[in-house]
Amino acid sequence: MTKSELTRRFFLQGSGTIMGHALARAGAPAILAVLQSACSARDERAAFTNLTEAEAREVIAIAARIVPTTNTPGATEAGVVYFVDSALNTFLADSSDFVHAQLAEFQAAVATSLPSVGLFSELEAAAQDKYLRSIEDTAFFSGARFLTIAGVFGMSSWGGNKKETGWRLVGMDGPPHAWTVPFGYYDAQYLSEQTDDV
Amino acid sequence: MTFEASVRFPLAKPVDFVIVGSGSAGGILAKELSTAGFSVVLLEQGPYRQAADFTHDELAVLVFNELGGGGNKAAQQTFRSDPDKIAIVPSRQPAGYAQTVGGSSVHFTANFWRFRESDFKERSLFGAINGTNFTDWPITYRELEPYYTKVDWEIGVSGAPGPHDSFRSKPFPMPPIAVKSSGVLLERGARKLGLTAQVEPLAILSRPHNNRPPCIGCGFCMGFGCEVGAKSSTLAAMIPLALASGNCEIRAESAVFRIGTNGNGKVDKVFYYDADKNERAQKARAVIVCANGAETPRLLLNSSSDAFPDGLANSSGFVGRNLMFNGHARSSGLFEHPLNDFKGVQVTRMIHDFYESDPARGFYGGGGIDVRPFVAAMPLAYAAIGGVPGAPTWGAEFKAHLEQDFVRSMSLFCGTTSLPQDSNNITIDPTHKDNWGRPSIRVTYKDHEDDMAMAAFLQDRSMELFDAAGALKSWRAPIEQQNGGVHLLGTCRMGNDAKTSVIDKFHRSHDVSNLFLCDGSSLVSSGRGQPTMTIMALAFRAAEHIAAAARNNEV
Repeated sequence: MTKSELTRRFFLQGSGTIMGHALARAGAPAILAVLQSACSARDERAAFTNLTEAEAREVIAIAARIVPTTNTPGATEAGVVYFVDSALNTFLADSSDFVHAQLAEFQAAVATSLPSVGLFSELEAAAQDKYLRSIEDTAFFSGARFLTIAGVFGMSSWGGNKKETGWRLVGMDGPPHAWTVPFGYYDAQYLSEQTDDV
Repeated sequence: MTFEASVRFPLAKPVDFVIVGSGSAGGILAKELSTAGFSVVLLEQGPYRQAADFTHDELAVLVFNELGGGGNKAAQQTFRSDPDKIAIVPSRQPAGYAQTVGGSSVHFTANFWRFRESDFKERSLFGAINGTNFTDWPITYRELEPYYTKVDWEIGVSGAPGPHDSFRSKPFPMPPIAVKSSGVLLERGARKLGLTAQVEPLAILSRPHNNRPPCIGCGFCMGFGCEVGAKSSTLAAMIPLALASGNCEIRAESAVFRIGTNGNGKVDKVFYYDADKNERAQKARAVIVCANGAETPRLLLNSSSDAFPDGLANSSGFVGRNLMFNGHARSSGLFEHPLNDFKGVQVTRMIHDFYESDPARGFYGGGGIDVRPFVAAMPLAYAAIGGVPGAPTWGAEFKAHLEQDFVRSMSLFCGTTSLPQDSNNITIDPTHKDNWGRPSIRVTYKDHEDDMAMAAFLQDRSMELFDAAGALKSWRAPIEQQNGGVHLLGTCRMGNDAKTSVIDKFHRSHDVSNLFLCDGSSLVSSGRGQPTMTIMALAFRAAEHIAAAARNNEV
């Protein structure tokens, strides 16, 4: 089996797990559509270059709790895992060993705390949240939060923010980032009043 | 980023002027002197980026400090608030500035207030302030006004006169940028409180001007370069004219480490490391240092010699002293409907009702309040550090806040006075060196109690403005002692007395007749938080006098 096939299999499996959690949480058909779309986009992606399958699964699961998929796309659809994988080639290249060690430590700690499940990615969403709350003050969580945010909201050239998921999430239309009046509710009202005066 | 020079000057043959630093002042001096027929070598430690090189990449610009030379990992600046303590290398660079052709005029927010008549004579108006070097300028607003006007028209400033402005000899060259929702809300709040929200003058084009295009409203002004050249940086407005003169050679990625002097006590060469870190020396008839209020004193202090044991041009001991960052305060708020303040320029309205110092307040100081999205123009930054205090920082509720609040928030930003103090200064760190091997900048800084009081006063007014504007919720960012700044002012002040200043009122060093200094370091007082317009006006004025002196063989 080739690496890309492995990755493809991983994604189908990994995304399915996340999908199950999300649906269990919200039960909304819209989520299914969003995630199916995300899975389809993922299948077209190349293999990871740095993360192992196991690591990637944990990264996806952690990021999905930091910026979850609700009735709108979140970290999973933004492709945060690709951002992290790519970062290990670029700005985290010098810290690659450290990042892998941190992930291993995280996985080991989860296995110790929750021996019946073993993997963070296999926990139910509520249990994942509970576990992350218990490590909120750690450098690991702080780093994971930052990487998730950077992967959701940064430029897509870094590997994340697929289809401008992050920008659209906060209400920004996608590129080219060039806008004219009216910008918002209050200046539109102001312009309208001025026009009325004329 | 490759750049083919239009003219090349040999190192061993003296050029008329070497200018160190291509920012707000250096870019103007290069253009003015080269178009006047003088040969100019412009040395810039950063690369030559052009408009097409600028992006909205928050990770590269805000996190990795791409435009600032990589941040403090490279600069190794040190900081301390207590002069008796050993300064440490913090993660955030204490004295911040861009390293790129055009300098900090490339990444600044482009708020462009003129100083007022009172700014130049506050010592006479309010008297001495204990423990400070508070003094009048050697020039007046009237003397500088023609050069403010030159900046308006040659650099490109949009705006409209405000009720509190000092006189102007010519109208703005173009109308204001369209008001945003945040500006409308500030007007609403101000009106209820009996204040005036006036148009923010901006070094951003509202319509085509001098063969440059107008603003496209992308929202990435603060900290970013302008991808269309509508922001009136010296990169956009001056450098092309300097190059077109055929008399100006720009040497980017050239880090100056020393200015050399001859036996006559004059400067005669500038030593720098080129892009390959090879040591070079350019000969010059005169040198103009425009490296900013931190780099200029560092260069002078690193250029000590037997003739100048305390640093070049430092017989007064004032090189590096009186560092002023301007004080700052911020408050933020949420409104019912979307403002979409990420669209358009950062600031369209401001309040200058509290500009003048008022002894009735019980402390010296003044300032302005402007309205801007702040980080609500930048999704990554907003998600990482913005938002309502106390709100969840991850999870579904966090995400819901982002979806709801990003488009509904704005901030009121207060810029205030800083008092000049001996104990706030730039010196050379005895231990650390930057990535070029130059002894590092050491910043020693502690805000004066009056500066802290003024910041708190304006923040109180800001909270009243939020209430009056109908904010659903508003909150204060804590006002704390500053441990860094990007307004780097006062460290080589101008003055008539060679014992208490570094340069004369025409920017010539008191000690070295062919050495000139012009940048934020020249300022005597701090204004109220937007110094670039004044730095540029000083540069046009300095250029005129330096050119006249050169023609008369007086350099």
